[in-house]
Amino acid sequence: MRGLFRLSSKWWPGVIPLVILWAIAAWNNTAPLEADLAARSGAALKDITLDQTRIAVAGRDVTLGADAFSEDGRRSAVASVDAVAGVRLVNDETRLVPEAKPFVWSAERDVVRVTLGGSAPLPAVKGRLVDAAKAALGGVEVADQMGLARGAPARFENAAILLLEQIARLKDGKITISDNKVSLAGMARELGGREAISAALRNLPEGFSVTNDIKAPPYVFQAYKDPVAVTLTLSGYVPDSSTHAAIIHAAGRKFFSEKVVDNLKQSVGAPSGFAAAVVPALGALSRLSTGTLVVSDREVKLSGDALYDGAAAQLRAGLGKDFPQAFQYKADISVKPASAPVDASVCQQLFSNVLGKSKIRFDSGRATIESDSTGLLDRLVETALRCPTAAIEVAGHTDSDGEDAANQALSEKRAQAVVDYLVKAGLPANRFTAVGYGSTEPVADNESDEGKAQNRRIEFLVR
Amino acid sequence: MAYLVMFHWGWLLASLLLGLAMGWIAVVQRGDGVSKVLARWLAGLAAALVAASIVRILPGRFGYWLDLLLVMFACYLVGCAAGSCLRGWVVSRNAPAGPPAGP
Repeated sequence: MRGLFRLSSKWWPGVIPLVILWAIAAWNNTAPLEADLAARSGAALKDITLDQTRIAVAGRDVTLGADAFSEDGRRSAVASVDAVAGVRLVNDETRLVPEAKPFVWSAERDVVRVTLGGSAPLPAVKGRLVDAAKAALGGVEVADQMGLARGAPARFENAAILLLEQIARLKDGKITISDNKVSLAGMARELGGREAISAALRNLPEGFSVTNDIKAPPYVFQAYKDPVAVTLTLSGYVPDSSTHAAIIHAAGRKFFSEKVVDNLKQSVGAPSGFAAAVVPALGALSRLSTGTLVVSDREVKLSGDALYDGAAAQLRAGLGKDFPQAFQYKADISVKPASAPVDASVCQQLFSNVLGKSKIRFDSGRATIESDSTGLLDRLVETALRCPTAAIEVAGHTDSDGEDAANQALSEKRAQAVVDYLVKAGLPANRFTAVGYGSTEPVADNESDEGKAQNRRIEFLVR
Repeated sequence: MAYLVMFHWGWLLASLLLGLAMGWIAVVQRGDGVSKVLARWLAGLAAALVAASIVRILPGRFGYWLDLLLVMFACYLVGCAAGSCLRGWVVSRNAPAGPPAGP
């Protein structure tokens, strides 16, 4: 041992080539060593959720910068890199992702794209939200402007994915989650879209409250009375098959000579009271010579030509007490130019023609004229106006059911009700005589229901 | 340390061989080697470098280069010691076999 120590003084000259060797080794190995440590540090962080990870290696010292999503995650990231074999020191430049308060996330749809904004809680969630948006929207461009932040409400991802499915139903608009409040605004793509979104929102995870301001395109129903083609064309939407049937039935009764062309489609999203507004509006349209009815959401617009001044005034005044309050009525009514006067025989012919197509209907057993017959009565008024000098007998007839005296009285009252309508329409009372014939002048046998129906009638006779 | 050895084994082997050669030569080399004072200074310098490495006072690449130097130096010393022992053993084995010294 002593010998070795003595000899060691002779070992020093070898240090000079050793230093040269060292310099070459350092020159050659520094970069590969740093690259190796960087690669293995990166691999050690593979399973830890971090954002903006930066690894810089100088010699054997690793500088780790990253945004972590929890304190545990941050500590474990540093510990993992520290545990990598060969790492001498870890310079910890990690930090926690800032906490958003309130935590806001949004998806906005405009004409060309959907923009995802606000914050997502984790990079993986962010990626899944972008994928969900792309899946829900087909070919629409998805712009990802989401940042990352802590503080998302529980079950945020489930809620956001459900909301992204709804954005496909919007034409434009914005869906926002702010903490646990969900708000939706904009315009639905189709009729019924608003209702479909409302239904889907019931599946939102517990704890979220919803403010739904989605608007739907206007719910439009249109009817056009064409006097040349003698048609009534219905188009637009009705809410269901029963309303559809009810409207077609009402149109058939009110438009006695027109062929009903049914182009209606069914869709949800009708305003409440839709049928109650459309049926009286169709009644008003039936009183026009030519006209258009447009029901758009809760707005009813009637335009066209009334047959005489009194009818125009009544139509401008409103649609009667059955018309729902929630609906707004706008009338743009002019009066059809008066037709040329005709002599008494032509007048009789015209009355017979009109009454040959339909009958004035009364409530059963009473002398109250059904509202469905107003269009027909207006045509009779117009005809009476064309023969201003003719005296007219309005004759009431009944079937043979019931007592004769009662039938006689009913026929008189019904004839009088019709005369009252004509007088109220502006015709002079002295031109009309109301006569009741009871069941004394049947035009068909009273054995069948069909025959009885034919016998219950009002006739206009020019004297 | 294990990582350093694994990563630089070629260079460390070279240091060891250099030390082995130097130790081998030292036994039969004539001359005094470095003076005691200089040897003490050099030993002190080596101790200071070891201390600097242990407390990791040098940052980044300088720290790595220091560690590499010390590991290579350690291998060199081991090589020197082994070389000197080996040569000493060879010399002492050959001496009795030679012609006996005259009276």
